[in-house]
Amino acid sequence: MIWEVFRQEKPGDYHRHVGNVHAPDRDMAKLFAQIQHARRMQTNSLWVVPQEEVGEVDTEDAAFGGRTDKAYRWAMTYNDIDSSFAQEVEDSEAEQREAARKRREQLESEGQR
Amino acid sequence: MDIETVKERAGPRQFGPNDDMPEEYRKAATRMIQFHANSEVMGGYLDKEFTRHAPSLDRKLANTAKVQDEIGHAQLLYRAAETLGVKTRDEMLDELQNGEGKFLNCFHYPVDSWYEAPMIDFFVDGGAMRRQATLKSTSWTPYAHAMDKVCFEEGFHVKHGESILRELMRGSKATQERTQETFEEWWPRILQFFGPTNDQSTHNDFAMDVGLKTVTNDELRNSFLNMYVPKAEKYGLEIPESPRIFERDDGTMAVRESDLDWDEFWTIAKNDSDGSHEQIGSRARRQEAVAWVRDSLDNWEGSAAGTPQAAD
Amino acid sequence: MNGDADGVTDAPAAASPRPRRPRPRPAGRAGGELLFRLADDEFVHAERLTEWQIYAPTLESDLALANIAQDEFGHARLWYDLLQELGYTEEECIWRRDPDDWTHATLVELAFADDGWGDAVVRTYLYDTAERLRLEALVDTSYAPLADRVGKALAEEDYHRDHAVSWLERLASDDDARARLQAAVDDLFPHALSLFAPGAHEDDIRANGFRRASLADMRAEWLDTVVPTLEGYGLVVPEPDDVERPAARGRDRTHTDDWGDLQAAFTATHREVDFDRPARLRGEEA
Repeated sequence: MIWEVFRQEKPGDYHRHVGNVHAPDRDMAKLFAQIQHARRMQTNSLWVVPQEEVGEVDTEDAAFGGRTDKAYRWAMTYNDIDSSFAQEVEDSEAEQREAARKRREQLESEGQR
Repeated sequence: MDIETVKERAGPRQFGPNDDMPEEYRKAATRMIQFHANSEVMGGYLDKEFTRHAPSLDRKLANTAKVQDEIGHAQLLYRAAETLGVKTRDEMLDELQNGEGKFLNCFHYPVDSWYEAPMIDFFVDGGAMRRQATLKSTSWTPYAHAMDKVCFEEGFHVKHGESILRELMRGSKATQERTQETFEEWWPRILQFFGPTNDQSTHNDFAMDVGLKTVTNDELRNSFLNMYVPKAEKYGLEIPESPRIFERDDGTMAVRESDLDWDEFWTIAKNDSDGSHEQIGSRARRQEAVAWVRDSLDNWEGSAAGTPQAAD
Repeated sequence: MNGDADGVTDAPAAASPRPRRPRPRPAGRAGGELLFRLADDEFVHAERLTEWQIYAPTLESDLALANIAQDEFGHARLWYDLLQELGYTEEECIWRRDPDDWTHATLVELAFADDGWGDAVVRTYLYDTAERLRLEALVDTSYAPLADRVGKALAEEDYHRDHAVSWLERLASDDDARARLQAAVDDLFPHALSLFAPGAHEDDIRANGFRRASLADMRAEWLDTVVPTLEGYGLVVPEPDDVERPAARGRDRTHTDDWGDLQAAFTATHREVDFDRPARLRGEEA
C-alpha cells in the first residue's frame, strides 16, 4: 500500500507534500516516513495519508479559474486606486500580482490566452 | 500545558492542534475565531444585496466574486476554529442560526442601497483588513494560516470598495449628497467596529496575554482613522462633527468614545437590536428552507455510495 | 501604477466616448438576434442563480453555485461586448433596455422559492445542457469574432454540467429530495421547451453561416439528452408534444410577471445614479 507523506519543517508552517512510502499500515507508514523523508531535512511533523484516499483533479480535467476574463477580481485591475496608504492592501496587491503572473504564464504555455 | 506556560511561550504561530492547550485558551480562541467566521457569513447578507444593485455588469461581476471570497473565508475560519476541538462547524452554524452566535456590529444593520456598498466594502472591509493583517501573527497556527489566504484576497475588496466610493463621489450632486448621508449614518458604526477601549473589553487582556491578539482595539481604530479619514476627505466626504475626532500629542487620530452610542453597541452585542433580529431571522429562515438538502447529502454520505472509494 | 491619476477603471474618467457606429445592416440584425439570445439567457440566468449566494445549503455548495453564476455573467459579457462592437452600448444592451425587448427563455427568469434548491439543480441541468449544445453549434461559425469567445465559454461549461449532474444523482437517491426534483421538472420543463424557439431572423442566421445547425435539430438533440438522463434518475418527464405550454415564450419577447419584477430591481440603481457610462473593470495584468 502506498502512503503519501506531508512534511512540516517548523511549527506554524504548512505541511507540504514531499513524497510517499510503501507500507502495510498507518503505523509502519509513520515509521518508514520518518527515515525516508525526515532523516535529513528539518522536520517538526509528518502526515501520512493512504494514496487511494487522495482524490485528484488536474488540468486535463478542469479549467481552473475559468477561461473568460476575470480581471475584476484582481487588485491590480484597480490601478487608478492608490494602495500605498495601507501596508496590508499593498502587500495583498503584490501577492495578487505574482499569483496572476504565474497563472498567466501557465495559460500562455497551454496556448489558451 | 498550563496557562502560565502558554503565556510564557505566546508568540506568532506558536501553538497548533498537536499541542495540549488548556481549556481556557481553547475556549477563548474558539470564541474569537467563531466570531470572525460568523462575521464573514453575516457580512454576506449585506454584500449580496449589492450584486443586485450594481450599476454596471463589471461591478456586478466584481461584487459576486467578492462575496465568494467572503464565504470562502468563512469556510477557512470555521475549520480553523474546529481544530481547537471545542465545537464542530455544524454546532457553530447552528448557534449562528438560533441567535447564540455573535458577529460584527456593522453586520447587524440591513442595507438596501448601492450607496451603502462603499461603506461596507471600503470602510468596514478596510478596517477588517487592518485587523486581519495583525492576526497573521496570532498564536493559534491554523488561524494564522487562514489569515494568510484571507489577506491575499482582501486587497481586491478594499480597492473595489474605494473604486465604488470614488465613482459615487464623482457622480451628480444628488448622488454625492446621498453618499454623504449614507456615510454619516454608517460612520459611528464603523468606529464602533473596533469595539470599546481596552479596559471595557472582557476578553481583550487574556487574548493579548496568550498571543491570540497582538494589537489592541484602540491601536487598530487609531491607525484606521489615520489611514481612512484622509481617504474619505480626498473623495469629498465630510467627517461628521460627532463623534469627535481629535489629534493626540503624537499626531495620531483618536475618537471621543463618549460620543458613541454604547447602549446600541451592547444591545447589538447581545444580538438584540431590531437589525439583529432581522439579519439573524433571515439567516435562520434561509438555512431552514434548505435543511432538506443537507439532510439529503447526509443520507448520501451515510450510504454505501458516499464512501471515499465509491466517489470515484 | 499611476497612483491617483485618472485611470481607466471608472468609465467617466476614461477616454472620450467612442464614436457611435451606424446601426447594423440585415446580416448585423441576424448577428444581433443571435447574440442577444445568447447574452440575455446568460445574464438573466446568472441574475437568478446569484440569488442563491449566501442562501445555499452549505458553505461549499454556496461557492460552487455562485461561481457558476459568475461564469454565466462572464459569458453574457462576452456576447454583450460583441454587441457593443456592432454599435450598441452597455446601457442599450442591459440597463436602459425595454423589458419587453429581452429575448431570454422564460426558463431562466422564474423566481426561486426559498426552498427551491431542487429548482436550481434542475434548471441549471436543463439550461447548461442547452447552452453546451448551442455553443458547440457555434464553434465553426462564419462570424469570426464569435469563434474565439465560444471556446472560452465552452471551457467553463464542463464544470457546470458535472455540477448539475452530480447534484441530480445525489438528490435523486433520496425519496423526499427526488419528489422536490420532480416538482421542479414539472414546473420548469414546459418553459424549457421554448429554449430553441426561433426568432425573426433565424433564416438569416443560418444563411450567413453564423450557425450551421438548425434549432429543430438542436432541440431534438437536447431532448435526446435530458429526457433519458432525468428518467434515469427516476424522474417522470412529460411527452413534449403533450405539454401545456405557458403563454409567455420568452424568445418572442413575451415574459412572465417574474421578469418585470426582476428587471425593475436590477436596473433601479442604474436609473437612480445616472452615471455617464457603466464602470468597466478590465485589466491587462490578470
